[in-house]
Amino acid sequence: MESPSLFWGVIVWMIVWGVGGSIATRYRYLHKDLDTSNANFVGAMVGAASGPIGLAYLWVQTPELTNRLIVGPAILAVTLVAAAFAFADPDNNCVVNGSFVASQFVNGLIIGIIYGFMALGLTLIFSILGVVSFAHGEFYMIGGMVVYFVTAVWIPGINPILGVMAACAVAFTLGAVFERLFLTPMYEGKIDRPVEYGILVTFGLAFTLQYFVQATAGANPVKAARFFDFPRWRIPSAEDPWLLKSSRGNMTLFDTVSISNPRFVAAVMCIVVLLTLLYFLHRTWTGKALRAVSLDREAAAIAGINPDRMNMLAFALGGMIAALAGALLVQAFSWLPQVGNIPAMRSFVIVVLGGLGSLPGAFFGGIIVGLVEAAGTGCIPDAQKAASYIPAYGMLVLTLTLLLRPTGLLGRRFSSGTHGKF
Amino acid sequence: MRQQVPNIAGIAGIGFFILFPFVYSGADYDYIMHICIIAFYYAILASSWSMLAGYAGQFSFGHMGFMGIGAYTTALFCHYFYLSPEPTNLCTEFNLGGTWLVVVNPIGVTSTTLTQDCLRQALSAWNGTVQVTPMPVWLGIVLGTLMGGLFGLLIGLLVLRLRAAYLALFTLGFSEILKATISAEIQITRGQAGMETPALFEQGITLFGHTFSKTDKLPPYFVMFFLLLACLGILAWLARSKFGLFVRALREDQDAAAALGVNTTKYKVLVFVVTTMMAAVAGAVQAHYVGIVTPNNLFLLQMSLVVAMAVIGGVENFVAAAVGAILIQFVLEMLRNSFDVGGITVDMTIWRLVIFGIILMVTLRFSRNGLIAPIIEYFQRGHVGKETVEKRMASEGDAEEPAK
Repeated sequence: MESPSLFWGVIVWMIVWGVGGSIATRYRYLHKDLDTSNANFVGAMVGAASGPIGLAYLWVQTPELTNRLIVGPAILAVTLVAAAFAFADPDNNCVVNGSFVASQFVNGLIIGIIYGFMALGLTLIFSILGVVSFAHGEFYMIGGMVVYFVTAVWIPGINPILGVMAACAVAFTLGAVFERLFLTPMYEGKIDRPVEYGILVTFGLAFTLQYFVQATAGANPVKAARFFDFPRWRIPSAEDPWLLKSSRGNMTLFDTVSISNPRFVAAVMCIVVLLTLLYFLHRTWTGKALRAVSLDREAAAIAGINPDRMNMLAFALGGMIAALAGALLVQAFSWLPQVGNIPAMRSFVIVVLGGLGSLPGAFFGGIIVGLVEAAGTGCIPDAQKAASYIPAYGMLVLTLTLLLRPTGLLGRRFSSGTHGKF
Repeated sequence: MRQQVPNIAGIAGIGFFILFPFVYSGADYDYIMHICIIAFYYAILASSWSMLAGYAGQFSFGHMGFMGIGAYTTALFCHYFYLSPEPTNLCTEFNLGGTWLVVVNPIGVTSTTLTQDCLRQALSAWNGTVQVTPMPVWLGIVLGTLMGGLFGLLIGLLVLRLRAAYLALFTLGFSEILKATISAEIQITRGQAGMETPALFEQGITLFGHTFSKTDKLPPYFVMFFLLLACLGILAWLARSKFGLFVRALREDQDAAAALGVNTTKYKVLVFVVTTMMAAVAGAVQAHYVGIVTPNNLFLLQMSLVVAMAVIGGVENFVAAAVGAILIQFVLEMLRNSFDVGGITVDMTIWRLVIFGIILMVTLRFSRNGLIAPIIEYFQRGHVGKETVEKRMASEGDAEEPAK
């Protein structure tokens, strides 16, 4: 970085005014007896983006905190950070190399879709059971392991789709059995604090599964072969394929954006499964019943839905989604019994960012986290440090979300059940 | 008489652990002593975590992070600060009335430009004419404890509004950021290579006419043991005072507690600071005992172990958590032996953790108070029925109410 003092100076300036703005705006809105639910967030963003000027406007006028006022300053603040970075480090790859930026952006988007898909499972479990499953990463790990063992060890040469299906079946069964055996006492009011019980018992499951896999499969990294190859395309012509050029493992768009096959296949399959899931949730009786239980448990029970059975379905389905994400990514990354830790953490970040319990929020949150990670790894000058800090980028997003807007992007307030306790 | 059984057992246990190093004389003396020290270390962590999670209901998964802050503070302090009678003229240094406080420059693990830090350069230039003094270990431990408390205060203030799952996620995130930072800042913390720390008693120590070298297990054994007793003492005193009552009220219903006049902010932050300081002091002492700190100490496995120990012991009773931690540490060590079943070697170093996880889940499912706490409770209750005790407690509570 050429002039780090400029960049850090801007950051410190933004933090100081952001913190001040957050406190001052909340105080002001509280005393004028206005809605304060977004005051922290808007105050922080206006302070960070425009310093004392915008804050003075908020303080004097106290305008209604509409969506426009929520989104605008946030975008402005992000732009300001990016501009400060560009001026401080004019030779950085992220500033001068347009094709690098495009490549990072597309890859961030693709991986973000997969992250969002995995987080969807977690948020589904939460919206029905009111439990944050700490075993989500282990379901992800098991999915990948099953695909590896089916396609590479037990039945070599089998269609990988069958391996993915086997992974889904294993995870679904495991989730259903675990829910029946260990989560049922939560619903009967036998436990003083069901939320903490849920956290601890899923934590125990994570611990057990991780070491069970390590004991049976060993601690060496494994990797499955690519599921599909790209066909050999040259568009528009073989001599000058400026639009699209693909070889078996890679695809290049516009001569600039390079996309690797495993991630692309995984993202496409995620979207397909996501659409299926949306169809299931909105067009079938069981799916509608699931959504009904997540909205209001008692009312759903009165309408003839058995909430306990929906609990089982939700936990099994959530685990299955995580396993599917793992099953699709085992062709892209090496697989270890501990591989689930970081994706699990990332899923937590995404569901909090999107709003605990919100399905679209999880998906958008996933894309945001994917982009933030791509920016973090691509733009920080010291590449080695940038890679070590990967888990920290998401955590930064999590911290900011929890401090400024604990309901997340699209969070809603829950009307019943254990949800109300948050 | 039966009510006294837990107290008698406790005193007997303390007596046993005090006499044990003098009585025991097996060939594996050092190994057993090492397990004891590590068991005490986990006992401090488990009991302080049970205070935080079981009493106050703050399910923090960042306890190992605070432990790491304690360990790394003292490691960094001992690594970078020295006292010298002469100025080196190479390092950053401050004159403290005749002696110079030398701040060594960080050179990382594999520096291409420098093979020696500034102090080593100065030492080789002096050629043995000047003796520099490293910082005292106890000062590092005190600083580590204070730093743990400071971070506990900050995190405690940040998580005030968060409950249950949000709190667990946030603290887990804090611990992960800390681990990532330590792993990434190789220049200063030496990353995964870890930092060496001086032994607890680098020069050896003479107790009652017997000189112990720095590798002897007896001094660190008693340091850790008395630290555990001190922590349990503080926790017991807190639990019996108004603090314990308020903190339990917070756990049951925060809004109701606030309505009844409990300063919820103060007590929530306070319980965070106290327990994180305990974790930090345990981490600092353990760092000096083991002689190295690495970011792997902050792995989720370590946190899982502490949580499991506290839960199996009894998360709402810190003495039970401590006893559980000691017992589980011994059982885990004993299960290390691999054995053969029909020609297949079962690698118990991994399978023991699987068994441990299953025990954890089953304990949670069928005995939510853990395995040790109900035994203590059974004896304390005497031959009186459970319901009778509850009724008595309730009526005592009513009787005390007007007195306040």
